[in-house]
Amino acid sequence: MSSAAIQIKDLRVDYGDFVAVDDVSLEVGAGEIFGLVGPNGAGKTSTFRVLATLMEPTYGSVRLAGVDIFEEPEAARRVMGYMPDLAPVPSDLKVWEFLDFFAEAHALGSAGLRRERVEECLGQVNLLEKRGVYCQTLSRGQTQRLVLAKTLLHRPRVLILDEPASGMDPLSRRQLRLALRGLAAGGATVIVSSHILSELAEMCTSLCVMQRGRLLASGTVDEVRGLLGRVERTVSVGVLEREAEALAWLEGRAQVAEAQRVGGRITFRWSGDAREQAGLLAGLVREEFLVCAWEEQKSSFEEILMDVAAAAETPALEV
Amino acid sequence: MSELALETCPERRRWWSNPIWRRYARSRLRPQALGVGLLLIWISAGFLFFFTRTLGAYRFKLGVVDAERAPLVPLLVLQAILLFFVGTGQVAGGITAEADEGTLDYQRLSPMRPLAKVLGYLLGLPLREWCLFGATLPFTAWGLWRGEVGVGTWLPVYAALVSSAILYHLTGLVAGTVVKNRRWAFLISLGAVFLLYTVIPQAAKFGLVFFKYLTLWPVIDENLANLLPREAGGVWRLAKSFEPEVRFFGLRFSEAVFTLFSQGVLSLTLGVMLWRRWRRAESHLLGKGWALGVFGWMQLVLLGNALPLIEPGLLFPSRQFSRRYLPKENWEPAVGEALGMIGLYGLVTLLLMVVLTVIITPSVETQVRGLRRGHRLGWRRLPWFSDAASSFPFVVLMALVGAAGWTVFAERLMGSSWFAGHPLGAQAGPTLALVLLGAGLSCQAILEGWGGRRLFLAAVFAGVVPLLAGGIVGTVGSRSLVSATWLVGLSPVAAPGYAVACLLPTVDWPPEVALALPRAFWFWQGLTGLLGCWLLVRLRQIRRARAVAVAATGRGAV
Repeated sequence: MSSAAIQIKDLRVDYGDFVAVDDVSLEVGAGEIFGLVGPNGAGKTSTFRVLATLMEPTYGSVRLAGVDIFEEPEAARRVMGYMPDLAPVPSDLKVWEFLDFFAEAHALGSAGLRRERVEECLGQVNLLEKRGVYCQTLSRGQTQRLVLAKTLLHRPRVLILDEPASGMDPLSRRQLRLALRGLAAGGATVIVSSHILSELAEMCTSLCVMQRGRLLASGTVDEVRGLLGRVERTVSVGVLEREAEALAWLEGRAQVAEAQRVGGRITFRWSGDAREQAGLLAGLVREEFLVCAWEEQKSSFEEILMDVAAAAETPALEV
Repeated sequence: MSELALETCPERRRWWSNPIWRRYARSRLRPQALGVGLLLIWISAGFLFFFTRTLGAYRFKLGVVDAERAPLVPLLVLQAILLFFVGTGQVAGGITAEADEGTLDYQRLSPMRPLAKVLGYLLGLPLREWCLFGATLPFTAWGLWRGEVGVGTWLPVYAALVSSAILYHLTGLVAGTVVKNRRWAFLISLGAVFLLYTVIPQAAKFGLVFFKYLTLWPVIDENLANLLPREAGGVWRLAKSFEPEVRFFGLRFSEAVFTLFSQGVLSLTLGVMLWRRWRRAESHLLGKGWALGVFGWMQLVLLGNALPLIEPGLLFPSRQFSRRYLPKENWEPAVGEALGMIGLYGLVTLLLMVVLTVIITPSVETQVRGLRRGHRLGWRRLPWFSDAASSFPFVVLMALVGAAGWTVFAERLMGSSWFAGHPLGAQAGPTLALVLLGAGLSCQAILEGWGGRRLFLAAVFAGVVPLLAGGIVGTVGSRSLVSATWLVGLSPVAAPGYAVACLLPTVDWPPEVALALPRAFWFWQGLTGLLGCWLLVRLRQIRRARAVAVAATGRGAV
C-alpha cells in the first residue's frame, strides 16, 4: 500500500450531463500542504465534498490516511477535518457550545478534557475572548476562524480546507498560514483551495491546477509554473541615449515582439530561452548601446491562472 | 494527547450522551425561552385544570372523584396539541433550518452512526415541547390520583400519545429532510397531522379501518369512559359496548396494543427513510425491497382489519356513522355503499402505489451515474435493488399485489351474506390488475424516461383536469352527463370507481350514463394500455441509448 496520506484514483463526479470532476487521480504525501487551484467551476469544491464524504462520486476510489472513505465513512470522518467554503455556523449556539458539540461528537473525552481542547483551539485561532458570545454575532473573518478551530478540534490527520482564508484579515491569514505549517510539521496533511493564489504559492509545498474537472498540472509551485507558464516573457531594458535605434534594433530580432517605449524603458515580449536572452543582451552591448538596466518579468501565478481560465473558452489545454 | 488524530471511540458513547441531543438540550432549553414557555403552559394548564374542576364541582354538583376527573380530557387535548402540532412543526422546521444554514453538513461529518443522528434529531429538536408537556403532567397526575383512574386506563392512553407523537415527529423529520423550504416543511408536517385527524378517520369509516390506528382516537375511544366523570363515562361505556375490539383476521387485540403495533411499523419505515438519507444524502428514501414490503404490509393490514368486520356488518359507512347507537331493526347495507368502499380501496391502493413508485424510480441523473459506474466497474447490468436500476419489476409486483388485495376485498364484500345475488365475476381480478398496471407503469415510464416535471404535467393534465372538466360539464344538465362520464373516465383517479361500476352494474344510474360508463372505462383503459406499452418501449429504447452513450464516451449524453 502506498504511504500517501491522500490517494485519489480515477475520481469522477457528474451532475447530469455536466462532468464536474473527470477521472482525476492524485496522491499527496503525509506532511504536505497541497494546494488545489483553478477557476470557478473547475471541480475543486466537488472534489473536496467527495473527500469529505459529503457526496458520492460517479466512480473512483479515495483513501484518506489509509482509510477507504466509501467503505468506512465513519472511520474516515475521524481522521479528516473539513472546512467548507463560506463556512456556516448555527445561530442558536455560543462559540464554546459549538466547539464542545463537535468535541463531543468526536468523543474527545470528559467535559474537562473537551473544555481544555476547545480553549486550545480557540487560542490557536485567536478567538478566546469570544468564547461566550453567540456564533451569529461574529464577523465573517471570525466565523472562518471559528470553523477552522472546529476543524482542528480532533487533530485530524488530513485537513480539507475549501477557501479557508476568504474573509480573513491579513493578520488572521498569517496565523492561518502558520497554523497550517505547524500542523504539517506535526505530520498532518493539508489539502487547501484558494483564489488568493499568491498565498497558496507561499503556503503550499505542492499544488495542482484544475480546469473543467481535469488536472492540468501538479508539482511544486515552480514546476507548475513551468508547466503552465508561457515561454514568452516580458523583458524591460534601460538604454541611455539612442533609444529609438535600440528599439528598431530589437524589433529586428526574431524572438522579440510588441517592443515599445514605456516610461524611459523599452519593454518587449521575449519568446527565446535564457541562453538566447544572454545572447540578445551581448548583441545590444556589441552594437554599443549603453544598457543600464535589464529586467525579466516572469508571469505571476495569477496571470498564469487567468490564462488557464481564459482557455476555458477554448479547447482544453494539453500539458 | 497525540499530535496526530486523537483515537476517538464513539462506540463507547452512552445513549444519553448523544451529542446532537445535548446540542439541542443547550440551545432549546435556555432559561429565558424555557421560562416563558413554562409560564404560558402553566397558565394554560392551570386554567383548564381549575376551570373544569370547579365547573364540575360547583356548577354540575359532581362528587369529588368525578370533579377531579373533569380536567383530564382537556389536559390531554392541550398535551396532544403541544406534542403533535408544535413539537412536530419544530422538528420539521428545525431540520430544514439546519439544511438552510448549511450546518447540516457538519452533522453529516460527525463520526456518529446514522441511527444515532436520527435519534439525536428526533429527541433533540422538540425537547422544549416535551419539557412543556412534562410541566403539564403534575395537573394530570393529580387528576388521575384523586379521580381514582387506574393504571390500566391511563397507561395505554399515554403510551399511545407518546407513540403518536414520535410517529408525527418522524413524519416532520422526513418532511424536513425532503423539502428544502423551511416554511413548506413546517406546513406539510402540520398538514399531515391535521389530515390524520380529520380526513383519514373518515376513510376508516369507508372500510379502510387500519388508518384510524395511526391516530390516538382508538385508544381514547377505548379508555375514555374511565377518564370522564363517572356519569358521562357510563354513557360512553354503553356506546362503546356496541363496538368490537380490534380484529385482525382471526386475531383480537386491544385498541392500544394494535395502535402501538401499527404506529411502530410506520415509525420503523420512516426511521429507515431517515437512516438511508443520513447514510447517503443522494439515496432514495426507501429501497426497492422495502417499498415493496411496505406496500404488501399495507395491503395485509387493510384486509386484516376490514375482512372480519364484513359479516357482522360493522364495516359499512351507514353503520359507522351511527355506531354509537343500536342499529335499526332490519338494517342492512346498501349495494352502493359496498361499491363506494371497493372503489375507495382501489383508489387508496393506486395512490399508495404511485407514491412508492415515485420514491423508488431513479431520476435520469441517477440512472446515468449508475450506468457510468457500472460501465467503469465492468458490470453486465445494474443490481436489481440498486437505486439506479429500473423500478419496472417492482411496480409490476406492487400492481399485482395491490390487485390481489383489492380483489380479495371486493370478493369478500360482495360474497358476504349481505349481498347475495351480486357475485363478482371471474374477470374482476384481471380488470382491477389492468387498472393498477396501466396507471402504475405509465407513471413509472414517464418518471424514469422523461423525469419528474413531465410526470407532474401528466398528473395535472391527465389526472386532475379531466375530473374538473367533467365536473363542470356534468353540471350543465342531464344531456351533458354522458360527455361528463367520458371526460371523468380519462383520469386514472376515476379508474378504480369506473372499474367497480363496470364489474357490478347494480346501481341505478341514468340509462345513458349506465351505457356510457363501461364504454368510457374500456375505451380509456385500452388507450392507457396502448400508451403504457408505447411508453415502456420508448423507455427501453431510451435506457439502451443511455447505456450505449455511456459505453461509447463514458459521458452518456442524454
